[in-house]
Amino acid sequence: MQILLAALVLGGLGLVLGILLTIASKIFYVEIDPRVEEVRACLAGANCGACGYAGCDACAQAVVKGEAGINCCPPGGAAAAEGIAKVMGVAAEVAEPKVARVLCQGATGVAAQRYIYDGYKSCQAAAGLACGPKECRYACIGLGDCVERCPFGAISIQNGIAHIDEKLCKACGKCVAACPRSVIQMMPASAKVLVRCRNMDAAKPAFAVCTASCIGCGRCVKACAQEAIQVVDGFAHIDASKCTQCGECAKVCPRKCITVE
Amino acid sequence: MPKLTFRGGVHPLHSEHEGKLPTRNKPVRDFAPEQVSILMGMHLGAPSKPCVQKGDHVKMGQLIGEPVGGLGVAVHASVSGEVVAVEPINYMTAAPQMCVTIKNDFKDEWVELKPLGDVETCDPTQVVPAIKAAGICGMGGAAFPTHVKLTIREGAYCDTIILNGAECETYLTADYRLMLEDSTRIVDGLRAVMRALDVKKGVIAIEDNKPEAIEAMEKAAQGRAGVQVVTLKTKYPQGGEKQLIQAVTGREVPVKKLPLDAHVIVLNVGTAHAIADAVIEGKPLVQRITTVTGCVVNPDNLRTRVGTPLQEAINACGGYKEEPGKIICGGGMTGNCAPNDTIPTTKATNGIVVYNEKEAKSVEEGPCIRCGRCVESCPMGLNPYQIKHFCDMDRLDEAQKLDVMDCVVCGSCSYICPAQRSLTASFKVAKEKIAAAAKRGKA
Repeated sequence: MQILLAALVLGGLGLVLGILLTIASKIFYVEIDPRVEEVRACLAGANCGACGYAGCDACAQAVVKGEAGINCCPPGGAAAAEGIAKVMGVAAEVAEPKVARVLCQGATGVAAQRYIYDGYKSCQAAAGLACGPKECRYACIGLGDCVERCPFGAISIQNGIAHIDEKLCKACGKCVAACPRSVIQMMPASAKVLVRCRNMDAAKPAFAVCTASCIGCGRCVKACAQEAIQVVDGFAHIDASKCTQCGECAKVCPRKCITVE
Repeated sequence: MPKLTFRGGVHPLHSEHEGKLPTRNKPVRDFAPEQVSILMGMHLGAPSKPCVQKGDHVKMGQLIGEPVGGLGVAVHASVSGEVVAVEPINYMTAAPQMCVTIKNDFKDEWVELKPLGDVETCDPTQVVPAIKAAGICGMGGAAFPTHVKLTIREGAYCDTIILNGAECETYLTADYRLMLEDSTRIVDGLRAVMRALDVKKGVIAIEDNKPEAIEAMEKAAQGRAGVQVVTLKTKYPQGGEKQLIQAVTGREVPVKKLPLDAHVIVLNVGTAHAIADAVIEGKPLVQRITTVTGCVVNPDNLRTRVGTPLQEAINACGGYKEEPGKIICGGGMTGNCAPNDTIPTTKATNGIVVYNEKEAKSVEEGPCIRCGRCVESCPMGLNPYQIKHFCDMDRLDEAQKLDVMDCVVCGSCSYICPAQRSLTASFKVAKEKIAAAAKRGKA
């Protein structure tokens, strides 16, 4: 008899509490965006904090809220970014494919060196110290602020300047923002003829600091049949909308600072 | 009297007497170079406009750069002779700077000087204009225009003037020698400022590792109205403006506010000396004491002319002892590395420290082990290891939430870090980026 009583009390208690919990879960229901789970699945899942958030869950929530970009997960790399883009439906936004380009050829030995920089590995820090380690104060410093920021591993430093692997570049623009010298610029992927120098000085000082510097001589301007080239601020600019990629300008450039990809 | 101090801080080169031994007993020696290159942008604020041309003959103390804008400072010739160039040169800053180069004729002919007279009897309203005309800026390192500091804005008041004789920086003995050799002039400068601003209390604060300087200053301060000397504990950054105010007055400068909001003005002892020179003799700021030490044959304290090339100052001390690795303008903690030895000194160059190649070698960063020593050492009460994490991530918004902008870039955290992480350097970069972004936002 006693065992029946105990079973009834416990069973009844369970029933009442169960009903209470069911009601509570209906009243206090928290709506979860299903995309959070989907985004979470795309991330690397290491809870490494490389994104700057507390973990992968926090990062996924930030992505869905719009706080973090699609390329927030560096260890996940391109695969994660693509997956997130699919979930968030942003991939379709890119109209014309773009790519980041390094507009400097001042590698070690090409651009003259002012001093040996041996400090905190940051282009920003070096740029602030005595006009930078290279004589040209418009040149790529090559300490890799852009490499650090690239979530896709598309950038590497080779021989003292940055190189971008076009196949890996997803045009997120982080390198453009990171570069203290504005050497990296976002350009249409179709533009293959590029002026790879941004030296704004007059011809003489520009000539002295680097063997691949634009001296604003204007030969390319004359060579261009489309009138797409202008010398502004001491260096040549190509108007991508007029350029037919003929490459005549690159042939006449005495400094070989116009290149054809 | 108990020794005054602040919370946090470090004691660099503790076992080596802060690196000051080689020069602390060397009397100041006059030195004039063959040629001076005087920069137009030595001070904080817009660079001055050169008002001489190539080929002009200038006398010592002649105006060669007119001040520009509210934070402008006048620049004067530090030697007499011929102007050989007026052109931009590469200096330690991010962009080249306009510079007037003068060939010294070693005659040291002064221009006509207009002294105000004795500091106790002169017209107090003329003191700040005299300081402005003399082109004086802070000589402790930051080079803030002194006449701007001494212009009290509407609604604010100052009740204490502190002379900073802490010289907490490693290696430097320039202020120490000045306090020993010219203590009366320093007190004169303090009195001139006290009279100009009608302040009743003037405090000269000196660290306890300089007992001779304390004694000399106490002697000089005797019988001078309202002037007292206090002893500080030897600790870095005791000479930081905010730390000094906290130690001496017990007041804290509010976040994003100026010392004047704590009713205090802090001046370096060198600045006070320059003020006294300007008032008593009418001399503009054209020379200063610079400690040349480290890897040089005869480390010494030189009274150099503003614009002396580093190389000439080093040669005056016997040249390099070994192959130099780095040349630091300033002290070991806050000094900046010079790109070569041809750049000139400025009004704020209190030291030239030469490291040999071994000392100069930088070390690889290790991983943070969360030991918390940086937190303990931060004199501003920040969380360096956490801020560094966000700086590395380029999450500047988060770094700003942790008050990275309040960092005084003293270097205590980097010094104490057992993993040798470049904490301070990354904060400096973050501060620059945040300031640049704020400027862009305004424009």
